[in-house]
Amino acid sequence: MDIELSVIDAGSAVIRCNGRLNMVAAPALKVGIEKLVSEGQARLVVDLADISFIDSSGLGSLIAGLKKARQAGGNLRIAEASEQVLTVLRLTNLDRVLHPYPSVEEASHGW
Amino acid sequence: MAGEQSVYVVEGVAVPDSLDLLHDLLERVGSDHPDVLSEDLSMLETAVIEIAGNLIEHGRPAGGVDYRLSLEVMLDRLEGMLSDGGEALPIPPLDGDMPDPFSEAGRGILIAQAVLDELTYERTAVANTWRMVRKRH
Repeated sequence: MDIELSVIDAGSAVIRCNGRLNMVAAPALKVGIEKLVSEGQARLVVDLADISFIDSSGLGSLIAGLKKARQAGGNLRIAEASEQVLTVLRLTNLDRVLHPYPSVEEASHGW
Repeated sequence: MAGEQSVYVVEGVAVPDSLDLLHDLLERVGSDHPDVLSEDLSMLETAVIEIAGNLIEHGRPAGGVDYRLSLEVMLDRLEGMLSDGGEALPIPPLDGDMPDPFSEAGRGILIAQAVLDELTYERTAVANTWRMVRKRH
């Protein structure tokens, strides 16, 4: 999995990743999010458009990131999740705290 | 379809990098069987990766457990059997509740349970075996 971090403005950033977000890739995403938050980017959008698959480790990395961002006064949102990701979010009730946005654009407003 | 492969087998060692073998196998099943709904295959893949992930995390001796996954495409269902020669696995209750949304772990087996029609675990003298069934829609 590749991770690309783009700073949008003071305090906001988009994290774009691709491939399978499983126990191999999850630690790198968690570290990437922690790095952004520690550098002052606490309003984060994770673009999942190119994530074909997520497992419980991947969910764990998103939840860890959500908590970090909120502790720093921000939030973490997800955008463009695939059907598999949406199903797993719903089955685990995580869609209640990680509301899926249809696009990065829509997720990036109204913090 | 006559002559079409319906049983698939892959063997590996229970370490994180071996998950790609399982993902790739599921992808191959999908391309060999375009008649299988992608949702059914994707939910079976979700379960297989959770059950294998549980083995990678909890299998003992750590990093030294061999496993074998067999998948069968049947007319009415997809069936997976994951067996390993490691020590007995600690099995959480299969009918438990999902953890609090802010918990970072503890969902793997419950996700597998939720996406399958049947999930069973059996421990024999020498092996752990998980049987996973997803009915075809």
